[in-house]
Amino acid sequence: MSVFTPGLVHTPVTPFTTDLKIDYSRYEQLLEFHLAQGAQSLAITMHAGESVSLTDQEQRAQFAFATKQVNGRVPLLAHVSDSGTRIALERAQYAESIGMQAVICTTPYYWTPPAPMILEHFLQVSQAVKLPFFVFYSPDEMGGITLSTDLILKLVDQRPNFAGMIDASLDWQFMINIISNVWRKKPEFQLLAGNEYMVSAGAIGATSMLSGLGAIAPKLIKELYTICRTEKYVQARQAQENVAALLFLITQYGFGGLKSAMYAMGRDCGIPRPPHDALSPSQHQTLSQSLHALPFMSKEPQGW
Amino acid sequence: MPLILRGVMQSPVTPLKDDFSPDLPTFEKLLDFHVRTGATAISWPHHKGESLNLSIKERKAFAEVAVKTVAGRVPVSVHVSALSVEDSIELAKHAEQIGADAIIAITPYFWAPSQEAIYQHYVRLGKVTSLPMIAYNSPSYLEGVEFTGELVTRLMHDVPSLIAMKEASFNSAKFLEISRAALQVRPNFSIVAGVEFLAPSVPLGCVGSYSSAGAICPNLCTQLYDACIAGDSVKARELQFKLAQLWDLFRDQYPSSLKGGMVVMGRPVGPTRPPLPTATKERQAFIAKQLEELGILDTEPHGW
Repeated sequence: MSVFTPGLVHTPVTPFTTDLKIDYSRYEQLLEFHLAQGAQSLAITMHAGESVSLTDQEQRAQFAFATKQVNGRVPLLAHVSDSGTRIALERAQYAESIGMQAVICTTPYYWTPPAPMILEHFLQVSQAVKLPFFVFYSPDEMGGITLSTDLILKLVDQRPNFAGMIDASLDWQFMINIISNVWRKKPEFQLLAGNEYMVSAGAIGATSMLSGLGAIAPKLIKELYTICRTEKYVQARQAQENVAALLFLITQYGFGGLKSAMYAMGRDCGIPRPPHDALSPSQHQTLSQSLHALPFMSKEPQGW
Repeated sequence: MPLILRGVMQSPVTPLKDDFSPDLPTFEKLLDFHVRTGATAISWPHHKGESLNLSIKERKAFAEVAVKTVAGRVPVSVHVSALSVEDSIELAKHAEQIGADAIIAITPYFWAPSQEAIYQHYVRLGKVTSLPMIAYNSPSYLEGVEFTGELVTRLMHDVPSLIAMKEASFNSAKFLEISRAALQVRPNFSIVAGVEFLAPSVPLGCVGSYSSAGAICPNLCTQLYDACIAGDSVKARELQFKLAQLWDLFRDQYPSSLKGGMVVMGRPVGPTRPPLPTATKERQAFIAKQLEELGILDTEPHGW
């Protein structure tokens, strides 16, 4: 059986109109931009795309729209995370029914269940579909809920479609521990970098990377990923440093920084939905100036 | 001697007699073992050397033995961190008096100091000796107290003796935050990994590690460093995974498991002081089995 490897996964934002409805004509434009810029897969819709600010109906509508628009040109990974296990698994079933290629799921939002119930959550969602199932691990975003190697090994034992871990913890100890233990049982199990810190993740064994910055600096992201996939990590250092500089710049403005940076690059996707704040005009101007002052940004595409 | 930090540096454990009193003759043997098996520097007493369980008088006595025994073959740095800043200052002055090559100091214990308080701590230490200073970042053991890139920049401008950092966050974003800040001020600033997390850090500019397992498997530690420097990613990953298994073994009841492992390797160094446990015979037998399964008994030196 061939193993589905997502590769360089772009994670599109959700464009909103001025009245904060999903702007589908802009979404179409955005999906085409990501494809043109070398995305090997798309993840619909990660936290960068404000998944948690969308209703279940809106998330399903996005799945359907993206499936139709992309039309098989690259695989689509459905991010189905929710607080309730049933809500998440039904969203996963919907994604499978319309032909998406994989499912991504985090630990439940808000609750802090004991480890056996976290395992149960992942078991139920993964059992509900035949698609490859990826766990997204982002403890800083998820109230500090941590996953143990033991839990992951149990999930590997019980779910043949458990295909890999997407790590956004950036924690070398955790990643090494998980992947070195799981590979002894299941060599085709995958480690995916959950953000753009690919050098260290690749050195440990990551083969795919999720990127929100693909909307800002797609050439740089592609360069970083491509060098890392040749396993020449020392050569990837400069690209990694540039990506880190970009991440530091954008994240210091909070969540609104991403859309503000997109606007600065001529790719307006509106402002974030509440409870996130949009940047003030002066903040946006400062971010825009700082962004364009980064020397490597001159190589990046402006506009669509 | 000029302080060049590179490669696998060793931070020895502290040998104790059965009555928990200092065993200085065995400490001499241990130091000599480390230097003969390739240590590029000696640094004592890190937490694995039970620093906080020794009196200031005992720490001074061991430090004197370290400088005298190593006798200039490699640089010796003294870890001066203590619960009381007054004690740290006294240890720093003592290190200079006895001819140590550098001091190393972690952020202050217990009090959850602000960034300003951490700044003042290093400024103070920098004023009491003319020795080069190595800062030590270990947020996971200090309730999240850590260096920011901004603090590193500020310190490097104001504390000329600050030449390196032991960076033990084991986190890509933090490593890059610190290295980008530090190398911008001084390109020859050294960043040293805690434990042996070299595969994910050397490609980002890490110069070496303060070893955890060096008293057990110095050959393996050196092979990992060499593979990382050579850019042999596949071999580096394989060796890193093996060392991660050892780290899992030893960090359980650290450093008593390490001392238990040293019994297995024919280099007994006595018990561990309370409140840390001493490895029981059963624990030693378990460690022996693990070391055998990992092939350590066949590939690493036995005895002194």
